[in-house]
Order: sequence, then structure tokens, then C-alpha cells
Amino acid sequence: MNHDINVKKMRLNCFRQSKVPGEFMLQMRVPGGMVDAKYLSVIQHIAETWGDGNFHFGTRQTFDITGIKYENIPAVNEYLETYIREVDEELCEVDMNMVAHEPHPWDPKSGYPTIGARNISGCVGNYHCICGNINTFELARKLENIIFPSHYHIKINISGCPNDCNKAHLCDFGIIGVSKMTYHAERCIGCGACVRACEHGATRVLSLNEGIAKIDKDPCCCVGCGECVRACPTSAWTRGEKPLYRVILGGRTGRQTPRTGKMFLNWASEDVIVGVLKNWQKFSAWVMNYKPEYLHGGHLIDRAGYKKFKELILEGVELNPECMVAEDIFWHETEYRSNFNVKPIEMHHTAGPQA
Amino acid sequence: MMNPVQPKPCTILDVHKESAHEWTFRVETDMKVDHGQFMQLSIPKIGECPISVSAQGDGWLEFTIRNVGKVTNVIFEKTAGDTMFLRGPYGKGWPVDQFKGKHVVIITGGTGLAPVRSMLNLFASQPDMVKSVHLISGFKNEDGIVFHKELEAWKERFSTIYALDNDTKDGWRTGMVTAFVKEIPWDSFGGDYAVVVVGPPPMMKFTGLELLKNGVDVEKIWMSFERKMSCAVGKCGHCRIDETYVCLDGPVFPYTIARDLVD
Amino acid sequence: MGYTLNRQQADALLAALSKDYTVYAPKRFLNQGRYSATDVIRYAEVERFEDIVWQTKSDYPAKEVLTPIQQALFYFTEDEYRESKGPKKPILILARPCDINAQHIQAKIYAGNGGYTDLYYERVREMVKFAMMECCGGDDTCFCVSMGTNKTSDYSLAFKFSDDGVQVQVTDNAFASYFGDLPQTDYTPSFVEENELKVTVPDLSDKEVRKALKSHPMWQEFNSRCISCGACTVACSTCTCFTTRDVIYGDNPEVGERRRVTSSCQIAGFDQMAGQREFRSTAADRMRYKVLHKFHDYKARFGDSHMCVGCGRCTHRCPELISISATVNKVSAAVNEIKAGLAQK
Repeated sequence: MNHDINVKKMRLNCFRQSKVPGEFMLQMRVPGGMVDAKYLSVIQHIAETWGDGNFHFGTRQTFDITGIKYENIPAVNEYLETYIREVDEELCEVDMNMVAHEPHPWDPKSGYPTIGARNISGCVGNYHCICGNINTFELARKLENIIFPSHYHIKINISGCPNDCNKAHLCDFGIIGVSKMTYHAERCIGCGACVRACEHGATRVLSLNEGIAKIDKDPCCCVGCGECVRACPTSAWTRGEKPLYRVILGGRTGRQTPRTGKMFLNWASEDVIVGVLKNWQKFSAWVMNYKPEYLHGGHLIDRAGYKKFKELILEGVELNPECMVAEDIFWHETEYRSNFNVKPIEMHHTAGPQA
Repeated sequence: MMNPVQPKPCTILDVHKESAHEWTFRVETDMKVDHGQFMQLSIPKIGECPISVSAQGDGWLEFTIRNVGKVTNVIFEKTAGDTMFLRGPYGKGWPVDQFKGKHVVIITGGTGLAPVRSMLNLFASQPDMVKSVHLISGFKNEDGIVFHKELEAWKERFSTIYALDNDTKDGWRTGMVTAFVKEIPWDSFGGDYAVVVVGPPPMMKFTGLELLKNGVDVEKIWMSFERKMSCAVGKCGHCRIDETYVCLDGPVFPYTIARDLVD
Repeated sequence: MGYTLNRQQADALLAALSKDYTVYAPKRFLNQGRYSATDVIRYAEVERFEDIVWQTKSDYPAKEVLTPIQQALFYFTEDEYRESKGPKKPILILARPCDINAQHIQAKIYAGNGGYTDLYYERVREMVKFAMMECCGGDDTCFCVSMGTNKTSDYSLAFKFSDDGVQVQVTDNAFASYFGDLPQTDYTPSFVEENELKVTVPDLSDKEVRKALKSHPMWQEFNSRCISCGACTVACSTCTCFTTRDVIYGDNPEVGERRRVTSSCQIAGFDQMAGQREFRSTAADRMRYKVLHKFHDYKARFGDSHMCVGCGRCTHRCPELISISATVNKVSAAVNEIKAGLAQK
């Protein structure tokens, strides 16, 4: 047993330290939580050859294989090459020779180059779900090559609809598939099914206008879920031609200041999401004075302040006409310790380049 | 092409309050209507509703309307001289010819009296038409009583039993109409009779059963139905029960058909 | 007369027909389906060959052209009802045999029932000619052969589509001129002769059997399954039910229109009169009412055929996956049980 192991280096390589000294848990990336079922045999092979035979669903939808002995890690990494190439390089078009947009040659036998940007998780989305507005894993695959590999930490959760089964409200950058509905009044029979659906399942923005037997809508509070479309017997409600996205920012769990995220963007196009995330590394690097720390994105926004975040993250991004942006964000944190933030000034964190 | 749903404007001649919720509107028109037929009353921007003709005379028709819906709400704002739109008449009324020369028993519940009112007035004005008229008229309470004057007048000409469901009133009985069916001298009719039943669905159902219990011939009973309607000409489907359209084949049905209709 | 047209010629034909007719055909509406990234195929005006969806059955029936979901009956001012105007241009509808046969069924109600002819139906119907689309087999919800609606001779043109173009049969001389000097080819349309799905409609002629069926426990299942949304009747090729609604125009409450709007016996309130209780207050009641209309009541009134044409659209559109053919089979089983019970008495 080697008791002299750099566990931080192992963590960067996506091997998590076990309470059994010398044992590690491998975390394999599954962008959007969807891959070909054939990889189950890869997991089985790793678990039975080098692990303890067990397998855990990672909370961020990674394939987690427990009980891997330190000395077997090189063999596991070598075996992983095919999986990384097929899933990240091919499926997600990730350039493995870049880290945080800087050239950084990858040794294909060495496993994952960083743990930084975490696996993008997703609900099953409209690939299967009757509620989903978007294809979650296709989006995850498009975003994977923007945020990975990188040493800067960001947790992205994608939910197919505002029901948010995948908890976009509890991560740094939560993406929710939404739709701007079109009302075809000439197909409406005034049955009120949409009104009831919105009342029971959404935000009560619809009402039956008795005078004209048509539907009135309060567009301000519409969450874009599409329950009206599902309920409509005549296709009088339809989704907009292109899916749109809501971004929930700065949610997190944690020991210090857990909180739900707040809305940053609403009705954003896919191009806007892509553009914003392309600025993520730049923003993170600026906040941390270009030295990555083990710190998640939400904390970086706290340090920079939302307005600085907004300035850097929207740089060069062309917003689609429907897109709305939060002018300011007021999070509500759970403060386990009263006046958590009131402390000696030298304990304060800094943001941006330091002299 | 003729449009069977085209409403025609008519002038309201008189509005008479029968009770708090039931008013009678007399409307100027030359339209000829069979006893028991109905018409569609039409109010632009509100809608239409089927109402049976409760009386008719030279150049006028009367409708006794209960204020229960959005159309009737607006009708109740109208006064003499205002315009009301009508279309019809529709449906099959009472087979008055078949009642001629017979003992006629009429049993009504509440406003169910309206669709038989014009026929009762006919029998009252032409007493030789039928052998006798027995009228059982029930109302929920005193507030619900309609056609006060006529009820009094009919007492003179017909054999009448007037009743309130749970209330008392001088000269009136207390109880459901079904309780009085056995008081009709069925045996004295020598089989030469016809029975008319109109009222809310449960009242008609239980009265029908009570009649059979009293040995009344199922073939000699008639009922009038009320159902939701939009078009009144057999297109909209609202009043259909099985293969029967209440607007076309009814509202008056022989009991042999009525008892088998399951909504 | 028969012709074979390539895509360009088909486009030219459509352009020429469109000068004289409003041409309706099944058209794809992208992303307008009930679920995201699904489409809706429904009847609309078509201008190009590629607009016509012939490969799969439309979600909504051809009846929408003749009896739209919403139409104006009258325009009114304070003291006048003015009739709305009908179409001025003749109409050509591309439809499969089931949809064409459905119009014969709708006509019995709209243009016959009770001796009243519905002006709004008739004024459109007399402008309509059908171009029969040869059915490429339907899908696993179709059972037209069981209902006898797989064939029709009521068409002026017949089309057999392929990716390359269209074969045409002209049966109405009024359309001969559109083909000019094109060489004639042999094309006689064929009809679907067998569906994957076969439905045997139970014999409900016995009044006692029908009475027992109405109170049979089989309907209870729908109280938990059916959500009474009415998607089945909207998608139905033959359902005719409508409600009349008066509408006021914006800021002038004295002016407006009386509309006819599709309604459904499956939606709560269909049989509810002001201030009274519903006669059919449960999903089970409503399902029983619909199924018996389609497979007994209509035929009992009008004679020759059942109301259902077996197009399967009700099954196809049902969000709760209730199948009409499975339901009819359940009716058959219940009827057998009832008949056996009656025979024992």
C-alpha cells in the first residue's frame, strides 16, 4: 500500500479519495446523463477488473466506480481512453488538447485532464418526456466542449421544462427549457382545459374570457412550461418554433451558504446560452486573478458582484429580441451562523486582478 | 337557401311577473305554434335559449321564463316595447287530436306547468273537446307558484289538486305530486284517458313509476323533455339521447319512448 | 383518363388548380404538436406539391374545411342579424377515402336530420369537390376496412403520391382541361383492402341488451382513465357537435357576431342547462354516450352505416392512450356477457 499519494492530483484526474487509504472512486463524465447503453459493459469491466464490483450513480450523473486501488489507476486510465474519445471527443466534439481555451497537450492514456467543470447533468428532456421543451442531452453535448476541460469549476444542470426535475435552481448555472406559446384563437373552442392546466400545474396566467369564450393570458407570469399545449384538445396552443431557455444563476448546496438560484436570463436563445458560457472561463479567471481555486461558480459571482458578472459574461453576446436579463439579483441565503458575512476585513475575499 | 337558424325580431307587448324568478313575456308575432312546441329566444351578444310557448293568442305568443342563465338574465331586463328575437317553432307538441274526447290527466311540477298552459286554456275555453280534465300541479313552495290567476280559473272548470312540496297554503295540499296520483278516479275513465306529465327529470321519473303502480296504461302517458340545445334543428347534438333528438322528435314523447331514453 | 406527373408538373397542376379552386390538403405545421419537437398535420391551403403530406395520416380530419372549429353565423348590430357569407371560390379537398366517406355521414346530420338543411354546411358542401388521395395503408390505429369506409367513388380526381411526383386519375371532365397535352398513362386508384387492426362491431339491436350495456361496469374504467378533454371528438372525422356563442367586438358592445364553435360530448357541461345538473356527469357516462353514438345510435337513426369511419384519429390523439378499437372490443365482450345472462333467464 502506497501511503504517499497526492490526493489533490488524483481528484483533478477524477479519482476521489476513499475512506479506505489507497482506494479511489472513478467519476466518468456522462454529459446530459445520456449515453449509449453499450457503455454499461465498460463500467462493468472496470468495476469487476479494478474496482470492488460495485457501481454508484453519481449525484451529478457520472458513472462512479468505487474501490479502485491506487496502483491500478494507470491501467484504468489507459482503458478509459476509448470511452473519453467516444463520449467527449466524438459525441461532444471536445478538444482534449486544450484546457480553459489554452493549448495543453493531452496524454490519452492519462484519463481525464481536469475535474474542473463538472459533468453537465440533465433530465431526460423531450427525447422522452411528455413535458420536456428541449432536448437536454443534445444541449449538454454542445456545452461540454465549451466548459471542459477546464480547471475552473462550474456546475450546470439542465432541465427540460420549468418543473425543473433536474434542479437547475440548485447549481451555478441552471438551464431550463421553455417555450413562448402561440395562441391560435381560431382553433380555440373555449373549453378551458388550458386554464385548468395552468391553474393546477403552473402559474395561473390563463383565464377564460366569458364574453368572447377565448383565453386571456397574463404573459408576464408565464413560465413557458407548455402545460397549456399539452392540455389543449384542438392544438389552439402551440409552442414557439424554436426552443428558448431560462437561466437560473448561483444556486448551490453546501455547508456555508446554501441557496436557490435566481433568474438571470429568460427566453434566451441557444446562441445566447452558448455565448454566455464561452465567457465563463474568462470571467472565472478574472475573478480569481487568473489562478484557479477549488471554488464553484456561484461563489465567484458573489466575489465579483452580480453587476460585474453581468458585464463580463454578456461581453460580445448578441441577445435575441425576446431575451430578458436580470438587472440585479438578490439571493436569499441560508446563513447557519448569524452575520456570517461580518468578519475581519483581512478575511474578505478579493475579486479581479490583484496588485 | 333558407336559413333555419335565422332569428326574427319581435316586439315585446307585455311583461308579467308570475313569481320572483319566473316572468311571462308576451311577444307580438303571427307565428302559429302547436301546443307544447318551443322556440329559440335570441338575444344578440348574449345567445339563445329554448323556451316553450306557454300561451298563444291572436298575433301573440307568451313565454314563461325562469331567470337562471346569462340569456334569461338579459331577457329579464327587457320591458314592453323592446325587441326580442325569435326562431321556430320547433319540435313536436302535445298530440291534442289524440286527447280529444278523452279524460285528460295533467300532472306538472313547478314551471313544468308552462308547456301545458296553452293546452289547458284550450280545454278550458272548449270544454266539449275532452270528457274531463284532472290537473295535479305541484310547486316547491309558495314563491314558486306561477299562473295564479289561471290556477284559480281552472279550479272552476277542471278537477284540480294543487300542492306545495313542504309548505302549507290555504286550499292547497302538502306533498309531492306523486302522492296524489292515486286520487285520480282512474277506474271511472273506462280506459278512455290520456296522461300528461311535465316537470323536472326526477319528478317525471317518479310520477311515471307511480302511474304504472296505479295501473295506468303505459301507452297512454306523455311527457315533455327539456334538454340543452344550441340549434334546435338536429345539428348541434346537445339534446341527443340515443338515436333521438329532443329538438326534433320531442320535446313531447310518449312514455314508451321516454322511459327508455338514457342520457 | 390517367396522367403521371413529376414534381414540377405536379406543382404546375397545383398552381393551375389554385386559380379556380381553393385547394386544401393535409399540411405539416412544424413543432405544433402536443409534445415538443413534434408536428401537427392538419388541413390547410396548399400551394406547392411538397406542402402536401401524403405519407402519413393527418392528425386532424378533412371535416375542418367544411365545418371549421369556429365560424361566423351572423353579424349583429342592436336590431339586426346579418348572415355571414359563404365561400365564393370552389373548393378542392385532397382527402383519403375515410375522410370522403365521413362527409356522407356528416351530411346526413347537417343536410338531412329532421328535414332541416344547415345553410352553413350546405353552402360549403356544394362548392366542394374531392381529389381522393390513394391511401398508402394508414397506420396501426386505422380500421376503415372493418367499417366499410376504405373505398369511395365520390371524387373528381384521384392522386397517388410518391417522392417523384403524382399519378392522377381524372373522373370528372371539368378537370380534364388542367392536363392539356400531357400524355395519358394508366392509373386506377387502389384501396386499402386490409388493416392491421380489425374491429367487430357488436350487435346492439336488442333494446334489453343496450339497456344492460349502459349500466355495465365496463364504463367505470374511464372514470380513472379518461380526462374528458374532448381531443377524440375534435379529431373525429364525423363528430358534428357544436355550440353557438355570441361575441362582442372590442370597444363597441353593440356590435358582434354569433359564432358556431366545435363542442364535445366528452367535455363537462355539454348537456348542462342553466341552473341544472348535468345528465352525464362522469367520464364513464360521456364515453358510453360517444361510443354508442358511433357504433349504434347514428345507424339506428340514419340507416346504412355506422358513424365511425375507422380513421383511428381519436385513438391517435388521445393523450391518455385510450383506444377506440380496444373499447369496442370491450363492448363486444360485455355484450356477449349480457346476452349469455339474458339467455339464462
